[in-house]
Formats: sequence, C-alpha cells, structure tokens
Amino acid sequence: MERAIVPPVPDAAQAPAPVLEIRDYTLGYNTPAGRFEALKSIDLQVWRGPTLGLVGESGSGKTSLAWAIMRYLPENAVENSGTIELSGENLRAKSVPEILAIRGRRISMVFQDPSTSLNPAIRLGDQIAEVLVQHRGLTLKEARGEGEALLARTGITRPADMMLRYPHEASGGEKQRVVIATAFACNPELIIFDEPTTALDIITARQILELFGRLRDETGVTALYISHDLGLVSRIAQDVAVIHDGVIVERGSCASIFKAPRQPYTKALLAAVPRPDLRIAPPAPDASAGDLLSVEDVSVNYGNAPALLRFLSPPRADAYGARSVSLGVRPGEILGIVGESGSGKSTLAKVLVGLQTFEGRLSFGGRAFTSRRMIDRDYRRAVQIVFQHPDASLNPRQRIGTILSRPLRLYDLVPPADIAARVRALLEEVLLDADFAARYPHQLSGGEKQRVAIARAFAAEPSLVICDEITSSLDVSVQASVARLLIELQRRTGTACIFITHDLNLVRQLAHRIAVMQHGKLVDLFDIADVTSDARDAYTRSLLAAVPIPFDAETDPVTSEAGAGNMP
Amino acid sequence: MSELIRTPPGAVGALLLALIIVAVLFGPLLAPYDPQTFYTTVRLQGPSADHWLGTDQFGRDLLSRLLHGSRATIAFGLGATGLGVCAGSLIGVSAGVAGGWVDSIIMRTLDGLLAVPDLLFTLLIVTMLGGGTGHAMLAVAVAFTPGMARIARSSVLSIREREYVLAAVARGESQGYIILREVIPNAIGPIVVEATIRVSFAIMIGATLGFLGLGAQPPSTEWGLMVAEARQFMFRSPWGVAVPGLAIAVAALGFNLFGDALRDSFDPRRRR
Amino acid sequence: MSPSYLARRLSAVLLVLLIVTFAVFAITTILPGNAAVMILGEYATEDQLLALEQRLGLDRPWYVQYLSWIANILQGDFGMSLRLSLPVSEVVGDAFWNSASLAVTALVTVTVIAIPIGILAALKRGTIADLGISLLAYVGTAFPEFVTATLLLVFLAGPATGFFPAGGFVAPNESFAGFVSHVVLPAGTLSLILTAHIARQVRSEMLDVLGSDYIRAARLKGLRERTVVRRHALPNSLAPAVAVISLDIGYLLGGIIVVEEIFAWPGLGRLLILALENRDLPVIQAITLLLATVYALSNLISDIVIAALDPRVRYE
Repeated sequence: MERAIVPPVPDAAQAPAPVLEIRDYTLGYNTPAGRFEALKSIDLQVWRGPTLGLVGESGSGKTSLAWAIMRYLPENAVENSGTIELSGENLRAKSVPEILAIRGRRISMVFQDPSTSLNPAIRLGDQIAEVLVQHRGLTLKEARGEGEALLARTGITRPADMMLRYPHEASGGEKQRVVIATAFACNPELIIFDEPTTALDIITARQILELFGRLRDETGVTALYISHDLGLVSRIAQDVAVIHDGVIVERGSCASIFKAPRQPYTKALLAAVPRPDLRIAPPAPDASAGDLLSVEDVSVNYGNAPALLRFLSPPRADAYGARSVSLGVRPGEILGIVGESGSGKSTLAKVLVGLQTFEGRLSFGGRAFTSRRMIDRDYRRAVQIVFQHPDASLNPRQRIGTILSRPLRLYDLVPPADIAARVRALLEEVLLDADFAARYPHQLSGGEKQRVAIARAFAAEPSLVICDEITSSLDVSVQASVARLLIELQRRTGTACIFITHDLNLVRQLAHRIAVMQHGKLVDLFDIADVTSDARDAYTRSLLAAVPIPFDAETDPVTSEAGAGNMP
Repeated sequence: MSELIRTPPGAVGALLLALIIVAVLFGPLLAPYDPQTFYTTVRLQGPSADHWLGTDQFGRDLLSRLLHGSRATIAFGLGATGLGVCAGSLIGVSAGVAGGWVDSIIMRTLDGLLAVPDLLFTLLIVTMLGGGTGHAMLAVAVAFTPGMARIARSSVLSIREREYVLAAVARGESQGYIILREVIPNAIGPIVVEATIRVSFAIMIGATLGFLGLGAQPPSTEWGLMVAEARQFMFRSPWGVAVPGLAIAVAALGFNLFGDALRDSFDPRRRR
Repeated sequence: MSPSYLARRLSAVLLVLLIVTFAVFAITTILPGNAAVMILGEYATEDQLLALEQRLGLDRPWYVQYLSWIANILQGDFGMSLRLSLPVSEVVGDAFWNSASLAVTALVTVTVIAIPIGILAALKRGTIADLGISLLAYVGTAFPEFVTATLLLVFLAGPATGFFPAGGFVAPNESFAGFVSHVVLPAGTLSLILTAHIARQVRSEMLDVLGSDYIRAARLKGLRERTVVRRHALPNSLAPAVAVISLDIGYLLGGIIVVEEIFAWPGLGRLLILALENRDLPVIQAITLLLATVYALSNLISDIVIAALDPRVRYE
C-alpha cells in the first residue's frame, strides 16, 4: 500500500542508500581470441528488505557479476569502468586485506553444488567454525558451539552429530544447509545465492527454498538470488533483474515484470517457462486401442555380479535399479515418467531400448521379450531413444550427415541413392539448415545437437521414442523450443513417446499420462486430468507441492508472507 | 597442430623433434666424416673447428657418429613403443570390450606384471632371448604392454559409457561397427598421448641396454653404446660420454614435451 | 579404514605376487634357452644336457616344476646359486640390506625435495620460479640413470675434483661418514630423475586442488591465503602426492640396478647383473621376486597412508 505513494524507486523512503549499488560497471576478459565483454554498463541496486532475483541463461554474465561483487576475478579480467558499492563503500577501491575482511563477514555466498563447494578433507563443523574464528575472533571451541547453534537453525535435527561428519557422510540437502549456515554465520549485510537449488533433487530443493525464505524473514538479510529459473525466482524474490549478453535488459518488481514484460527478451524468456496450465500436447489418443508396448513386472538388480567379481571390484551401492515395474504405453501417446535422481526412471529407459539386462517381460507388437538378448533389430528400429546430454550423444568424429544416415542404412529404410536427400529432409524437419550435414557435432550449439539426436531417432520411423531427460541440460529458452519441436514431430508422425524428466511443470504441459517412480518402484500412474485428484499417492503429492505452478501466488507458500507486503 | 606449438613446452618439444627428424633423415649426408674411420692423430679431443663435438678414443669424429647413431636410437624408441602399443592396445581393447570375468582375469594378470619394474622386466627377457637390438626391442615392447593395455582399457571403458555409443547399441548396430567406428576413433587420443611419452622412455631404456652391452653391439653408433665405450677414457676426455649422453636426453626430452603438449590439447579441462 | 578394505588390498597384493611368481617362472623356464643350455653353453653334448636337466629337475612337467619351486620358496628355500654354490637366500640377504640403504636414502631425499618444490611451483604458478622448476623437471626426467651417473662421476669424482669416491660401499654401522660419502653420488643419480618426475606430478595435482570449487569457497569465506593453502589445499594434495611417490618406487627399483652396477654398490642390482651375465637362474628368480614384493608392499603401504590422509577412502 505504501509502495503506491513513493514511486519510482522501491523502498527509497525506508532505506537512504541501497545495500549494494552497481553503477556503469563494465567487465571484460582477455582471451587468445581477443577481448570478450562479459558485462556491459551494469546498473543495479539491491535494497534492504526485498530479495532481488537476477535471472539469466548460461553465458549471460550473471555469474561474472557475482564474482565481480565478491572481488574474485581471474587474472585475465579487465574492469573498464564503474563502481561497486557496499553500503556506500566502493569495493573496487579496497585493498586485499580489506576485501578479505569483507568476504564471509559483510558479503557471503551460497554456491550451486554443495558436493564440490565443501572441502572433502575437513569436518563440516570446522568448515563453519573457521569463518567464526576468522571474522568474529572466537576461539575454536566457542566457534564450534556457535556453529552447532547455526546448524540447528537450518533445521538439521542432530547438529552436534553433523558437526563431526565429513562432507561425503552427509546428503546433498544436509550439505547445502551447512553451506547456508556458513553464509549466515556472521550476519552479513548481503548474501549472494548462486543457483543454490539447481544441483539438488526436487523435494530437497523445495526444502532449501523454504529454509531460505525462513532465514531471510528471521534475519532480514539482503539477498541477491541468481538463477536461470524464472518460475522459481517469481516465488522467492520481490524484485527481478533480467540479464542477457552482459546487459540488464529489464528490471522491476516481480509482479510487474511477470504480468507485463516490456522487453522482447523478457517476453521470450517468460514464454519459455513451462506452465501446466498452457498445454502444448495434441489431444490424447483413444485409450481403448490397447497398449503398444507393455512392461510387465520388470526388475533390474545392479548387485548381481558373481561373488568373486564383487570382491575384486565392489559395486556402487547407490542405484536402485528397478523393482517389479509394470506399465503400458498406448499408440500415439505421450507418457511422462517423473522421479528424483536414483528413482530408476533412466534404468527403465535402458531396459526399454535393450541396453540393460532385466527380469520380467516386455510385450511389443504381439511379441514377448523376457531377456535383453531376445531384443532384435525389428524391436530396436521401432523403439528409439534420445539421451540427456547433447554433448555426449553424437559421435564427435562423425559428420552430422553420417550420424543421420546410420539408421537409414542400418534398417534399410531408403535406397542408398536417396540417403542424402532423406538426411536433408530430416534436418529440415527439425528446423536445421540442410548444410548442417557437412558439419561436426562440436560446431553445433547444445540445442542444435539435441535436434540432431531427435532427428536420428525419428529417422528410424519408430513407433515409440524414449526421451530421457532430453531438455535437462539445455537453457530455458532452448528447452522450450526443443520440447515444442518434439511435440510437433510427435503430432505429425503419430509416434508414441515416453518423456522422462524431473521437470514436473514441463511434463504436465505435454504428457497425456504421468508415471511416478521412487526408489526403483512405480508408485503412481494417472491421467493428466487427475493430477490434483485426492487419489494421488502421497509421494506424488509431495513432488507436486515442491514445484508449484509458476507465477501463481496462490499455490506458493514460500513468499506468501514477505511477498504479500510488496503486492500493490 | 598450431594449437600444439602455441604453449612453450609444445614449441620446444616440436623444435627438438624437428632437430631429431633432420638427424635421422639426413644424418649420414650431414656427417662431416665417416663414423668408423680412425683418425689416430686426434684421439680424445674436445670440440674444435675440425671436429665440432670432439673425437673419441680412436679419433673418430663424435658429431658424425652421433648423426649416424640417431637412426639406431630413434628407431629403437619408435619400434619398441610401436610394438608395445599395438600389443597393449589389442589386449586392453579386448579386455574392455569383453568385460566380465575375461576382463577381470586379464586385468589382474596385468597388475601382476606391472609389479615388476620395467627395466628389470626388460633385462629378464633380453637375457633369456640373448642380447642384440632386435631382442632388446622386443623385450621393451613386452615390458610396455601391460601399462599400455591398462590405458587402452580405461580409455575404451570411458568411451563405452558415452551416450553416442549407447545410442549405437540401442539402435542394434553390430559389435564390429560399434568397436571400429564409434569406440576406437574416440579412444585413440589417450593412447597416442601415452605412446608419445613412452617413446622417450623406450629411448632411455634402449640406450641403457646398449650401455649394459645387452642391446646394440659394436661397431654400432647407438648412443648408449657410445657412452659405454667412452667410459674408460671419461676422465681424460669427458666429451666422449657427455656428447652422446646429452643427445639421449635431448631426444627423450623432445618426445616428452611433445607428448605433454598433445595431452593438454586433448584434455579440455587443461586447455585454456 | 574398514577391515574389509584392508583385507581386499592385502588379497590383491597376494594375487599380484602369485602372478609375478608365475611370470618369472614362465620367463626363466619356458622361453627359449632353458637353464641347462644356458649353463653349459651352446656346444654341450646331448648327454651332458640330459644329465644336468635331470639334476635340476628340468625333465619334469612344467607345472610340477612350478609347484615344487613355489613350495620351496614358501619355506624360504630359493635354491642354490649355480655360480657361487651358496644358498640363494644367503647370497641375496646382505645385498638386500645394502640396496635398501641406498633406496631409502634416495627415497627420503626425493620426498623431502620434490613435494615442497612441486607445491611451490603450483602456488607460484606462471612466475619465473614456476617456469624454472617446470623446465628443470622436464630436463631432469630426460636423463637416464647411466648418463647422470657417468656425468656425476666425471665431474664430481674424477681426478680433477675428487669430491666423492668413484664407487664402493661402506656400511653405515661401520663408518657413517664413510657411508654418506659413498652414497651421495648413487643416491643423487637416483634422486634426480625421480625428483623431477614427482615434482611435476605434485605440481599438477596441487593445481587441480587449487582450481577446485572448495578452494574458491574457502577464499570467498574471507580466509587468508596462508590459511587457504595450509588448511584447505595441502591436506587434499598430500594423498595424490603419496600415490605418485608409490608408483615411482617401481621406477626407483629399476634404476637401482644400473646405478649399483656403475657405482659398484654391492646390492641386489649389481648381484642381478652378475647373475644375468652368468645365467644364474635361482638368483635371478629370487631377486626379481624380491623386488616385485617390495614394490607391491610399498603400494599397499601407500594405500594405507592415503586412506589415513583422505577421509573419503577411509570409510569405504
């Protein structure tokens, strides 16, 4: 309500100066290929109170900006102009000892991947305590006591026990809580969160977000939250700045930017966020047709090696494999399979394309397959797969044309004389120029490579394509275009599709039915219309609760409190 | 290639290799004297205008002997490594492709062989076969095989899990196509790097065998043998041992530097 | 470290040694030129050969020979030296300790010099100091032992300088000063190539550690560079350094053969060369087994040290 009275600068009346103010800041890197401009004339203020979300895709410069604020720049960095001020003090003018006294005490940082940002050789407790010893002059004993209290605040149930563990003895969520406790240890003026949930599983990520919201409200710390995920930022930040190619293209309150974006880039980015309420899939096929492929009581046991081999090289104990999974795919249907990492969804994909030995039965085209060896070339032609990593799914030593011609030759689909023409047609179908045929994979972008992988799968004229996390390694905007392309091909060819993902909003946008897996088991299978039904499994519900629909304040408990104050 | 010589080690390595290649190809043409002729008036001399690198105990010109000997020395390094790499890669690739208990047995056997130091292994085999260049080369090749097999296998194993190989398997490609067209072309990088670095070891071991009298035999101008022959007179004229000794080091250094530069160019993590 | 980890490592060592016995037996028995031919020379008569083969038990099937050989070794009986007419264990015993004194001296020297140098080079990356160390390391690895040894002899033990004796051995318990003056050149020869190699490896391991996310995180906590290096980087680079040294022990054991021969050091290496010249098979077999055992055990010890240094391995 007050906001309407004091436009245009948010909170100007309450706080005389921003906590962080960046003016006309320009940063470049000297590379053998010449100067690369990472940040161009950046102006940005972070005020006490509202969290600022900084949103950008990979290569946008968002991480460079974080390093610049932390004064942690590589030797080849060149700062051409501008100031970075923390509570009115210019950080660029500070000496090294002054910067060391600021880092960890007045500005701290939470990193993307807790499994690499914690030192594997030091107990978790001591990694918190060393900050307190360094910046608050505590003795090690006092610091450990204080560290334990900090850990307790992050919701770790047995903090004393956690203090004594090494990083490899803690889960991802526990480790990220330790990193967060460390960041909050000295009550800093500003905390930079650099994609703190990206490396975590769905439900853990949600818990970390909630922790973030709670600690922010309790401490009133100013936060700069860096992310590639607009939907996520819409939930935890009050203000947002969109960065693209080193330029802040648009900034304002979340409410205004998400409701009425002004810049074309912001509009495109927003349009790319998968939203369950905006379906992109064609209508579901007739359910009475029977199953195209059915999986009956399929299990995969990774610990099956002979005793002597196990003794000589012990197996990894982390994967669940699959346990008695049964489900069917209908012709022309898009079946989504969701689950967290280690849930067995990729194992199932490998079974379906004959990459993994299994027990149980697959039925396809009136034939039954009870072992991997029975899977023959006819089956393999009809069931194709597209993998997750565009960088790894194309042979780097073969040209795109060779890659695409393989299925044509292997399955004898086209007379040899027509192969080149067919390759060109395939490329055009996935919206790539025909001259891509002469290129090598490293000359393509991630999205282009993934299009080639999709074209290779459809080249076989399959009746089922399995897409294993095919959008997970791509940027948001590329993700959307690849998903739309897949749906378009699916619509045109009538091919059935199994879409494996951990992105619940995306799968709700395009699947006809959704299967939920956990610890190798199928725990739920339902029509997309029944997604909110009470009949859903408890695990399905907790997954859905962890990933609310973007830009929908009502389904979103994280910012309900803090966010409400900023709504006009 | 231009990327290879951009770094200082790569550039120096390439320079040294170029020097060695010139010596190997044109050595006999460039040599100012006959390597076997005794010039008895100029025995055990230091460098002079007539004999740039001095002379040995029989008055033979050291530079000429060095240039002629480059072939024996380098050929030994390349030959022994080549044989070892081929045998090792074959074993390693087979083990990696076969997997299961075949792989386990092969790998445990190689572990056992790797516990015998290379030089000791070589000495054993040379002794049993009888000395001489051919047997020495074979012995070094055998000693290199286990190490090369390990590298080839780990390279194949890492490639085999790549998604493009999985895609080929899922497609139903033949085993032969997958190994020859998908796996090997991509697994070859680490093998080539290791092979280049091993040439320098092979040169050093070959020279050591020559020195011990188990490799090249007189009147060969192999560099290790040259050091051995000059040892008797080393206090009167250190040039006789220093010249071929340094030549061995230069050759080893060249292959070593070049191999490291090659490794860096293959490893995107180290490429800057 | 769990007992099962230790049991697994120990059984791996035993397996390695079993394979080594087999390989040594195969090389010395099955390859052309069996013992009888080698001992009697090419011109021996059929009858002489047969008689000797019978005496040596070479007329039995190979697996019987192998098993009886192994059985004897397990009882500490390596047979009789064919040349010296003494039990092999007696011949090898003294030589083993002489070699050990040289190897340990070299190893300690290398460890004390190479690890700090490697770490220093990594910390000073890109400076003149780093460039100098890297350059010397490259050059050092290119000199085979016999060249280094010969050059050291010429320049430090020749009549012109005569700083050190040109060869020979004095036991440390007889005269420690004598031992030191005799050990400097051979240990120095062995140390040069190993120091160069290990320093280079340690540098690259340390660079990997310094480039890791957790070092960046430590710096961004505002810790002083000294603390970052001492508490965060060094502990993580020690385990890889130990692994590098343990692998190079194999190289050391090969190099010692040549160095002992050149400096007339009465150890296993010199004995081996003598045995090879005389085709004294029992001695050759015993020395090869002994060196392989030392190497396998040193790998085992280094695995245990690594487990003690690295918490991730400790709990496997």
